Amino acid sequence: MTRTSDAPLPTPTTGPVFDLDGVRVAYDGRTVLDGVTVRLAERRIGVIGENGSGKSTFARLLNGLVLPDAGTVRVDGLDTADDVRAVRSRVGFVFQNPDNQIVFPIVAEDLAFGLKNIGLPKGEVPGRVAAALAGFGIAHLAERQSHLLSGGEKQLVALAAVMVMRPGAVVFDEPTTLLDLKNRNVIRAAIADMDPSAVVVTHDLELLGGFDRVLVIHQGRIACDADPATAVSWYRENCS
Amino acid sequence: MSLSLYVRGRTPLHRLPPAVKFGVLFAAGIALFLTDDVAVLGVAAAVAAGLLVSVRPPPAALRRQSTGLLVMLVVIFVAATVFQDLHTALVTLFRLLALLLLALSVTLSTRAADLLEFFERLMAPLARLGLANPARISLGVSLVLRFVPEVQRRYREIREAQAARGLRANPVALVVPLVVRTLKSADDIADAIDARCYPPPRHPDRENT
Repeated sequence: MTRTSDAPLPTPTTGPVFDLDGVRVAYDGRTVLDGVTVRLAERRIGVIGENGSGKSTFARLLNGLVLPDAGTVRVDGLDTADDVRAVRSRVGFVFQNPDNQIVFPIVAEDLAFGLKNIGLPKGEVPGRVAAALAGFGIAHLAERQSHLLSGGEKQLVALAAVMVMRPGAVVFDEPTTLLDLKNRNVIRAAIADMDPSAVVVTHDLELLGGFDRVLVIHQGRIACDADPATAVSWYRENCS
Repeated sequence: MSLSLYVRGRTPLHRLPPAVKFGVLFAAGIALFLTDDVAVLGVAAAVAAGLLVSVRPPPAALRRQSTGLLVMLVVIFVAATVFQDLHTALVTLFRLLALLLLALSVTLSTRAADLLEFFERLMAPLARLGLANPARISLGVSLVLRFVPEVQRRYREIREAQAARGLRANPVALVVPLVVRTLKSADDIADAIDARCYPPPRHPDRENT
């Protein structure tokens, strides 16, 4: 990895701290990530790179959806290989395609699903669901059928379904890829405004404005780790 | 298309607990087979129709859900009239009609989540004996309700993409990409479920957020 900026990275926040140490991941004998050692503690972290560079695998390591073949991934000291449930209660994950993330036929039921999984007392569930939906301005969707929502509404519901669990951090895997301009702006604003820290894998370079730190993953390694302007510049020069 | 029949509302039937509704449906299912009196069964069917109307289903949704059932009833009625006698045909018609209308009233006025929660509670004794995992069964049913319309949408997309390239409807050419896309989605859906801390704890009150 090359640090291409001399500027100090922002002060760490109180969100979860991710520690990746010597991580290697391979699928069917093909190495996807190798030699990844990095500590992530900023509020807004972007991850960019070419298709197939290992970005999504990197994101999935952060809440234990993918386990490393070598090395360790720790979240607040918890190893994702050993404490995956505790890790997932701290780190939410928003997928690229909300159609595959919303698993219940009615919106409110989908938000309640995560709360049930973390053992929230039943009486508290409706209030938390209503508050989460209201927080994203989609209270009117509570009783709507999930498959009839627009793409933007689905992505907001997917985000609300993660946020309702009150994670310390949320990992996004290309959250704006399938959206039109208006809904992209809605999701950008939601990411900018939310309280938890965020690690956002994206091809949407405009999304990175105001981020604290951006990693460029190139050929399975972190090739650049810098502020957004420097990282995007490196990416344009080396990956286009 | 949606497999979930629930219609939003605040009618008395909507407010009844699912356990009461299913209890009454179960009892009615037995009672309807204890009599052969056409008048009694006719009244039962009329009451069931009244209950269905009380749920205030949108006419279009009602038509969509009931057309197939009514056609089936007519076929059964005609067959019973031809092969047996009119009395038997009327008994069969009113009995099935009452049962179907009652069942429709219950499913139209009960949210899928409440329905599943009720069945989870119903299966709890089996879970204690280690014979079933109600949470897993419940999630499976939810996934069916959620994703059958999705699979249907994908089918239409594939059909349109093939039509745009001049391909005629060909079952193999349609099914193969549909199965591949559905399996790919299944992996993502499983990841999405895992990412949200599934499965729930056995003793929810002992786990805090």
